[in-house]
Amino acid sequence: MATHDSFDAIIAGAGHNGLTAACYLARAGLRVLVVEKNDWIGGAAVSRSLYEGWTYSNCSYVCSLLRREIVRDLDLPRFGLQVIPYEGGATFTKGGDYFAYYSDHDALRREIARHEPRDVDAYDRFSRTVIRQCRFIRPFLLRNAPDPTSLKARDLQELLFLVKRAHGLGARELAETMRFWTMSIGDFLDEHFHSPLIKAHLAGSGIIGTGLGVYSPGTAYVLLHHYMGDVDGAIGAWGFARGGMGAISKALGDCLTEAGGVIRTGAGVDRFLVKDGRVKGVALDNGDVFFAPVVASNMDVKRTFLEHTDRKHLPEDFLRGVERFKIRGSSAKLNIALDAMPSFPAAPEGAPFLKGDLHASTSLEELERAYDDWKEGRWSREPYFDMLIPSQIDPTMAPPGKHMMTVFVQYAPYDLEKSGVRSGSHWDDAARTALAECVFDKIEQAAPDIRSRVVHAEIRTPLDIEREVGLTEGNIFQGELTFDQLLFNRPVPGWANYATPVEGMFLVGSSAHPGGGVMAAPGANAAREILRRGAKRAARAA
Amino acid sequence: METFDVIVIGAGHNGLAAAAALGARGKRVCVLERSAGVGGMADGRLAHLVYNLSEAERRRLGVHLSEVDTVSLARDGRHVAIRGGSAAYADGGAHPDAAAYAALHARLVRFAGVLAHLAEAPPPGFEGGLTSLEGLREIARLGKVGLGLKRLGKAEMREFLRVVLSNAFDTVLDEIGDGPLAGALTADAVRGAWAGPRSPGTVFSLMYRLGQGGRVFRAEGSMGAVAAAYAEKARAAGCDIRVGVPVARVVVEDDRAVGVELEGGVRIAAQAVLSSAGPLQTMLLAGVAHFDVEAARRARGMRAKGSAAKVNFALSGRPLFTGLSEAQHGARLVVAPSAAAVEQSFNPAKYGELPKAPVLEMVLEDGRLSVIATHVPYEGWTDARRAALGALVAETVEAYAPGFASLVTGTEVLTPADIAAMTGAPGGHWHHAEMGLDQVLTLRPIAGNARYRLAVGGLYLCGASAHPGGDVTGLPGRNAAGQVLADGVL
Amino acid sequence: MDARVQTRPAAVPIGLIPTPFQSRLEALSRAKSWVNWAGYISPAVLDTVEFEYFAIRNQATLYDISPMHKYRIRGTDAGAMLNRLVTRDVRKVHLGRVSYVLWCDEDGKLIDDGTLFRLGLDDWRLCCQEPMAGWLDDAAWGFDVTVTDESHTVAGLALQGPTSFAVLQAAGLGTARALKPFDIQEFEPGLQISRTGFTGDLGYELWTSWARACALWDRLWQAGAGQLRAIGFEAMNIARIEAGFIAARSDFQPANTAIRLGRGRSPIELGFSRMVDFAKGHFNGRRALLRDKPQYSLVRLDVGGFKPADGALIYHRRKKEVGHVTSGVWSPTAKRNIALAELRAPFGADVADDLWAEIYVNAEGTWERRLERVTVQTQPFFRNDRARATPPGLF
Repeated sequence: MATHDSFDAIIAGAGHNGLTAACYLARAGLRVLVVEKNDWIGGAAVSRSLYEGWTYSNCSYVCSLLRREIVRDLDLPRFGLQVIPYEGGATFTKGGDYFAYYSDHDALRREIARHEPRDVDAYDRFSRTVIRQCRFIRPFLLRNAPDPTSLKARDLQELLFLVKRAHGLGARELAETMRFWTMSIGDFLDEHFHSPLIKAHLAGSGIIGTGLGVYSPGTAYVLLHHYMGDVDGAIGAWGFARGGMGAISKALGDCLTEAGGVIRTGAGVDRFLVKDGRVKGVALDNGDVFFAPVVASNMDVKRTFLEHTDRKHLPEDFLRGVERFKIRGSSAKLNIALDAMPSFPAAPEGAPFLKGDLHASTSLEELERAYDDWKEGRWSREPYFDMLIPSQIDPTMAPPGKHMMTVFVQYAPYDLEKSGVRSGSHWDDAARTALAECVFDKIEQAAPDIRSRVVHAEIRTPLDIEREVGLTEGNIFQGELTFDQLLFNRPVPGWANYATPVEGMFLVGSSAHPGGGVMAAPGANAAREILRRGAKRAARAA
Repeated sequence: METFDVIVIGAGHNGLAAAAALGARGKRVCVLERSAGVGGMADGRLAHLVYNLSEAERRRLGVHLSEVDTVSLARDGRHVAIRGGSAAYADGGAHPDAAAYAALHARLVRFAGVLAHLAEAPPPGFEGGLTSLEGLREIARLGKVGLGLKRLGKAEMREFLRVVLSNAFDTVLDEIGDGPLAGALTADAVRGAWAGPRSPGTVFSLMYRLGQGGRVFRAEGSMGAVAAAYAEKARAAGCDIRVGVPVARVVVEDDRAVGVELEGGVRIAAQAVLSSAGPLQTMLLAGVAHFDVEAARRARGMRAKGSAAKVNFALSGRPLFTGLSEAQHGARLVVAPSAAAVEQSFNPAKYGELPKAPVLEMVLEDGRLSVIATHVPYEGWTDARRAALGALVAETVEAYAPGFASLVTGTEVLTPADIAAMTGAPGGHWHHAEMGLDQVLTLRPIAGNARYRLAVGGLYLCGASAHPGGDVTGLPGRNAAGQVLADGVL
Repeated sequence: MDARVQTRPAAVPIGLIPTPFQSRLEALSRAKSWVNWAGYISPAVLDTVEFEYFAIRNQATLYDISPMHKYRIRGTDAGAMLNRLVTRDVRKVHLGRVSYVLWCDEDGKLIDDGTLFRLGLDDWRLCCQEPMAGWLDDAAWGFDVTVTDESHTVAGLALQGPTSFAVLQAAGLGTARALKPFDIQEFEPGLQISRTGFTGDLGYELWTSWARACALWDRLWQAGAGQLRAIGFEAMNIARIEAGFIAARSDFQPANTAIRLGRGRSPIELGFSRMVDFAKGHFNGRRALLRDKPQYSLVRLDVGGFKPADGALIYHRRKKEVGHVTSGVWSPTAKRNIALAELRAPFGADVADDLWAEIYVNAEGTWERRLERVTVQTQPFFRNDRARATPPGLF
C-alpha cells in the first residue's frame, strides 16, 4: 500500500467499535482502512502475552454486553469467537465468611437465607425489577438516540418509538422506570435488602468504571448498564471470551479482512485532515497520509477533537461541549500470573462460585468511603475489586495447573493528589507499586496466600491505560455514564447521532450513544448512520 | 358532632395556605395544630430567610420582606458579595469570575423559570391514560412547559436538557473557578439535602431554589411574621384555626375519610381531610389497613434524611466579621469556602459523623446569630453531640468573627431529630422529603400518590413532602386545595 | 494454618434437597422421575401415572406436600392483617376451620392462592405454593403480628382417596371421623389433621414436625396394608384439573413473579368473584378490582376428541384466536377430554359458542393439527358426594 492511498472510509483506531464499524462498512461494499497506533488491534479488548505462557485480557476482561445482533450479523463465531458463561461469584468478608452468588436459584435462596432470611424474596423482587428495566432498555441500544429538540422526521420517529414504549408501560411502571433511572444503587438496594454484605455484593455493578459512589443518583442505571447484556439470552449473565477478550477483536479483524478491509497497525492518527468544513483524510504520526470522504474516529470525543483536530474547524459551542464532557479515570487493573490456584479458606471445597467474580467489599458504607477517597485524589484505601480467574474455565489462558487472574480495581483517580496538587503525572513507579500493595492487602481478605502465588503481575494505573489504549484518563466507557451524558446528551447535545460538525467525520467509539462496555453498539450504529448518509448523498447526486 | 367541609391537619404554612385557598372558595375549614403555635417549619427558631416565594404570593400575603445580599466568607478575607447574578469582592474589587458567574446565574434562573410553571399545579401524571380528559390537560400543560423551552432557543433548550439532570459541582465549576463564589452556589444547591454537590440531580434542586429569580429575603421581624401572615390569610377566609389540638387519627368509613378523632376521643366530621404530614405519618393516622401493601412500602421507602441543623446563638453584643462593612453584616453570610469543601462537608454525615468543617448559612439578628449548619447526621444525636456541634459551629464562626465566642450567652442546637419532633417533618428534612430526581414531580412524594390524593377518598397530602416540595412557597398547600376542588369531593 | 480455616462456614447445599419423606419415597421410586418443587426433591411419578391416578379415585394415596410454603401468623392484629391481605372476610373463618383464600397485589392481580388454617384465636397458618415470606413481612408492617416461616419445619402429607378415612381409622386416628370438610384439629400432640386436599375427593392433609414425619408415614403405610399407594405430581395434577382447581404458574402467573407487564390476572378473571368480599372493608387490590373491568376469563372446557389439549390455542369460529388452554388432560374418571383455558373477554363468559381448540398431535413422528370443538362447563369434571359426607365412608 502506498503511503497516500485513497479509501472510501478510514477508521482511526482498531478498538472493537472501530472494527465493528469497519466491518459493517466493508460488507456494504466500501473500501475501508483501519489505522491503529499500537502494533496490535483491539484497543481495550485485547489478549496479550506479557509473561511467557500466560495470556492476559489486560483491559476489559469479561463479556456480556456485546450485542447478539452484531455477533450474528458479522458471523463472529465463524471467525473463532466463543463466549462461555461463568457461574456465580462471591464476596469475602474480613471475618472468614463469604456471600456466594450461585447460578442455581435454590442454592442462591439458601445462601441468602444463611445471611438474612428476610432478603430471600427481596432478591427475587430486585432481580425482577432489574430484568424488567433491561427489557425496556435493550431495544434502544441499537437505535439512534432521539434528539428531543429536533423536528426532523427521523428524530421524531425515534422520539415516537421512545414515547410509545414508555406509554406501553402504563402509569405505574413508567413511574417505577423514572425512579429507577434516577436513583442511586445504594438507595435501591436499601429498599430491598437488610444484609450489608448482600447489598455490597450487588452494588459493585453500579460503580464499575464510573466516577460516582454507590449513593450517587444515577448509579442504578450504571448497574443496569452492566446487566443489560446476556450470554445466549440469559439476561445479565457474563462470560469469558475463549482466548481472552482479544478473541473478540481478532474475530472482528478477520471478519473485516475477509470483507476486503485493510488494517494498518503501528502508526496512529496525528491529525484529522479537514478542509472547508469537510474531512479529507488522516495524517499519521509516521508521516503517512491517507484520504477518504468518510473518516470515523474510534478515539474518545476529547482525544478526537481536542488533540487531533485543528480547533479552527470546529464551532465554539461544540468545542465547549467536548471540553465539558466528563471522562474521568476511576479504575485500575491488575493482571496476574499465578503458579497455582490461590486458596480461599472460607470457601467450601470445589466451590463453583470461585469460577465467577470475586470481591471483598462488605458494605455500602465501605464502598462509599472508597469513593470519598477517589474524590480527594487518592486511590481507595479499601478498594472495591472485581476479580476473576478465567483460567479455571478457559484452558488457553495459562499453562496447565497454573492460573491467570484479572483484578479490576475501583477507585483509582487519574489525577493523583500529592502535596495539594492533583496530576496524572504523579503516577510513578512508587505510586503504582503502592496501589498494587493496597490491592493485594484487600485480596488477602479472600485469599491470604495470594502474594506467594504471584509469578508476574501487570499493574495498570489510569495513566497507563490512557497511554497504552488511548482512553482519556483511562476511563473504560470513554465518558461517564451519567444522565447528563447519556442518550441525546452523549457526547455533546445535538451531536448524539455519530456525526460531527466536520462533514464526513464521525465518532464510532463509546463516547457516543449508548456508551461503553464492549457492546459494539456505537460502532454498529455509527456505521448505519454513515451508510444512511452516504446513500442519501448518492441519491442526491443521482 | 362538629362538622366542617374540610379538616387540615397541621398549621404549617402549607396547611394554612391550603386552608386559605379552600376558605376563599366558601368552604368551611378547620385547621388542627398539635403544637401551641402556627407556622410549622416557617418558625423563627427554625427558618430565617425566604428564598423561593413568588412575587404574587408575597403580595397576597402582604408581608414586608427586604431583599438581602449574600456574602460568601473566605478564610483569606477575600469575601465575595453576591446579589442575584452579580458578584464582586466584599471590598468592592472586581471578581475575576463575575462575568462567567452572571452568565451562569442568568442561565440557571432562565431554566428555573421554565420549571417554575410545573410547580404551580399538580405534577404531570398519566394515571387516566393519555387519551382521557385529564391526560389531555396534562399534555396541554406540558406543552406549555415545552413552549417555554422552545422559547429558549434550540441551543439553550439542549443545554437545559443536559444540565437539568446534571450535578451542581460540575455545572458550576465548568463555568467558574472553585472558591467562595462556587461554594455559595453549590451550598445553595444542597442545603437541607441528603446530597453533596457532586450528586447528579443537584442542579435540579438548585433550579428549584432559583424558581423565583433566586432572590433572598428577610422578613421584617422574623420568619414568624410570614407564618402569621399565612394564618391571617386563612382566618380572613373564615378558617377555624385551633392550636394545641393533636389529631389521634383520621376516621375512615367505606374507603372515605370522614373526619378526625382528637386525642381524648372527640370526633370532628368533614368531607375531606388534608394532612401536612408526610405520606407515611398520614397513612398511620388513617390506619395502614386502609392502604395497599405496596403503597405503604413506598411510603416507608421515601427518602427523608434531614441533613441540616439549626444553631441559634444568643448574643450579648454584635459580632464583627473581619472585612465586612456595617451593611454587609446584615447580609446572608455563607461559610462555603469552595464547592469541594461543600462536598467534603457531606462526607462524614453519610457515616453518621459530624462534619469536620461545616457549611454555614448565617443571619445576624438583634441579639442573635441564626445559623443553618450542614451536613449533619440525621440520627444518633445525644446532648453531648449537640454540644459538640454547637461548639464546632461557634469555632467556625469565630474564625471569621474573632471574639464571637465571648459574646455567646446561649446556644440552641436543633438537630434533624429535634426538627422532626418539633414540626413532624419526616426525618427532620428541610423539604419533608429529599428533592432528588427520584422524588420530584410525578414521583413526589412517592410514586402513585403524586397528585395529593392518598388512596382513601377525601384524604389528601398538603405539606412540603408533596409536589413541588419545600421552602416557604405555599404551593403544595395551594395545589392540594386545587386538587380537592377539582376532584369534587366537597 | 490460617486460623480462619477452622471457622469455615457451612456451605449451603447446591441442587435439590430431600424432604423429610425422601427416604421412604426413594425406596418406593421405580420411575426415578423427580421434579424440583421449591428446591426439594419431589416425585413426578413413583411408578406409573395411570395406577397412581386410579389409586386417588379408587383407594387411598399419599403425596408429600412438605415443599408447600407454610407461614404462621400470630398476634393480636393477625385477623386484621389477614383481612387486609386476602379477598375473603377472614372474620367468618372460625376456630378449627380452614378457608381457601386468594390475595392480590395493588392492581388486583392474584399473587397466589392457598389455604388459611385458623389454629387459635390469634393464630393462623397460611399454606401456599409460592414463597411468600417477603410479601407477608411487607403486609405485616404496621400490625401487631409475627410471621414465622414454617416451610422447612412443618411436614405435610396428603392422604387422599375414597378409603383415606379407612386408613386413618386403621392407623388409630378414627376420631378424625368428626372432621367436616375444611375442618382442622390436633388429634395427637404435634399431629394436626385437616379435611382438605387438592383432588376434589375424600381426603385429608396431615401436618407434623419434620422430626416426626417418617414415623407418621410408616404408621399410615402400615395401616394402609397394601391398599395405600404413594403418588407423584403427575397423578395429582390430573386429579386437580378434574376437580377444577387452579395451579400457580399453569393457570395463572403469580403477579409478583411476572417480568412482563400485563401477565397478572384478577380473582374475578379467574372465576372467583364469590370469594371477593367488597363489603368487608379495604383489602389489597380492592380499589383496582372495583375500577378495572375483567379482561379475561378462566373457564373449564370439555374438549372434543381424545388428545389432551394442554397449551392449545383457542379460536372463535375457527379463525379468531381468543385464548389458550392453561391445563389440559384426558380425564380417566369422567372419560372426557378436559381443560382449563384462559379466554379474552367477552369469550368464555358472554360468547361461549363456536369455540375451537387447535391441538397438535405427534403420531409416531408425524405432526397432525386438529381443530376440536370445545364447550364451556360450569361444574367441575369430577364431583362425588363421598368427598363431602360426614361422617366419611370407608370406601
